[in-house]
Amino acid sequence: MKRYLSNPLAIILFITPTLGLFTIFVFSSILKVFYYSFFDWNGVGTAVFTGVENYSKLFSSSTFATANANGFKFALVITVYQLFFASIFAIAVSDRWMPFRKFFRTAYFIPVVLSVTVVCQLWTSILDADNGLLNALLRAVGSDSRQNWLGSRYGAIYALAFVNAWQWMGYQFALIVAGIKSISTEYYEAAEIDGASATRAHWHVTIPLLKETYFFCLLVSVTGGIKAFTEIQIMTGGGPGTATHTLTYIMYRAAFVSHRYGYGLAAAAVLVLECLAVILLLNYLFRDREAKQLRRLAGGKP
Amino acid sequence: MKTSRKQSMGAKIFSICLWLYALVSLYPLLWMIFYSLKSNEEIFVSNPFGLPATWQWGNYVNAWTQYDVPLFFKNSLLVGAGTVLVTIFCALLFTFAISRLRWPFSRSVRTYVALGMFIPVQAIMIPVVQTVNQLGLLGTRWSLILPYAAINLSFATMVYFGFFQGIPKEMEEAACIDGANIYQTFLHIIAPLVSPATITIVIYVFLASWNEFILANVLVGGVAKLKTLPLGVLFFQGQFTTDWGSMGATMTIASIPAILVYVIFSEQVERAMTIGAAVKG
Repeated sequence: MKRYLSNPLAIILFITPTLGLFTIFVFSSILKVFYYSFFDWNGVGTAVFTGVENYSKLFSSSTFATANANGFKFALVITVYQLFFASIFAIAVSDRWMPFRKFFRTAYFIPVVLSVTVVCQLWTSILDADNGLLNALLRAVGSDSRQNWLGSRYGAIYALAFVNAWQWMGYQFALIVAGIKSISTEYYEAAEIDGASATRAHWHVTIPLLKETYFFCLLVSVTGGIKAFTEIQIMTGGGPGTATHTLTYIMYRAAFVSHRYGYGLAAAAVLVLECLAVILLLNYLFRDREAKQLRRLAGGKP
Repeated sequence: MKTSRKQSMGAKIFSICLWLYALVSLYPLLWMIFYSLKSNEEIFVSNPFGLPATWQWGNYVNAWTQYDVPLFFKNSLLVGAGTVLVTIFCALLFTFAISRLRWPFSRSVRTYVALGMFIPVQAIMIPVVQTVNQLGLLGTRWSLILPYAAINLSFATMVYFGFFQGIPKEMEEAACIDGANIYQTFLHIIAPLVSPATITIVIYVFLASWNEFILANVLVGGVAKLKTLPLGVLFFQGQFTTDWGSMGATMTIASIPAILVYVIFSEQVERAMTIGAAVKG
């Protein structure tokens, strides 16, 4: 039997396609990001080693500061928006007596399955200053608070973050619904016997028991903010001026518009490191989540 | 939670909030479908918000005949199908080898591929374009299929791994005693057993590739005949005032397959999309 399961030819045949594809396209790519970030390179000619020059140029450019601030704003908006609505709605539809719960689940989740370009194009039309739906709506109700949503230096990044938050709220919602499903009903029965209201029961039972779920929600939304790109590329092109540049957008422009690959890769490297820092920080903040999870599985009180 | 069956004042306000957000979530889509059936005059002047007064099905005919929508549609379908096939083929073989076969380093090899879960697509976009170019794949559908598959492999192998662990060792032993070779065992015994995982991965990978923009933009953005729907939709960028109706029709056509898949398989789609949480967390 041991020989049967250790057939070397079979093992090599079975693992080669995955190892090949993964190494060629993903692993070697990440190595190249870090390696070529120390070179001056236009993508076709020979690369010239320039040490940390790309990084020092990047760190001293004002766009880099804008990009980091934008990444932070983007992450903040989508995290707060999504976690707030997703938590409330998930708790609501998890109540088995709630009318129309299937409808709400579908309604909240549908934007997730749409193409991001359709969503961006759609919201560009909605937010358009002259012909947009939102301004038309504001006009129709007689308000003169109409604005050039995507053309404002200070507001545009928030409008872009909103579009992302709108599309992906349903994703976090589905995560939390799944998390709630895994909580034993005994906890709620105990809370009811203790005379706790539904709101209090959720605050003291549901939310703390969803640590694992919230860990992942935060991971997705905070790194999502740092990585923000598609909304910017489609809806504002980084503008007005450089007001909505993000790290990924700096990288994209450097490589595919001005052909400064080394500089672009330095931005990509910083992007990877920032995401890694977020993962490590969240792991630290949620360090006891697995212990709790285990205790829960073992049937003990959390 | 029987307590909430009593409709108190608070509960009523709460339920109004749920309906309001459902409107926020769905109305932009309905609005898109409405304007895909309107004339420019109706969209901008007489009736921007409601159902079309006269249904302009011509917009769909326009989108289909004048804006290359059938081509985008075909490309998306072929790239989606190709990515699904390559991903399933590679991930199934690989996970079988790392979870059922006995060999040194199988754990390290599994960890190596799992690392991909933490690498953002955005960050590797530049080297991926260069690799695709060096392999001479630019200008073919493989320029999308192979990178898409490579990126999805980490996820797919981790989902399979969870499933493989639940299959008793006796399956292979029995097959071995019956005289099946390792390939037959894999193909006829093990592969069919993990089909629930296969369905999850097929749905996830298909939707991901159907909607993918970041790599498609830099890999086939300049190749008109290979553009997928997410890129095709952008054709209208900057020419809003000309033909909103056809733009709406194109966007609606691009969204229908994904929405249909979701409405028919909603449970599986939600599970497929959120299973990443379990494998990453």
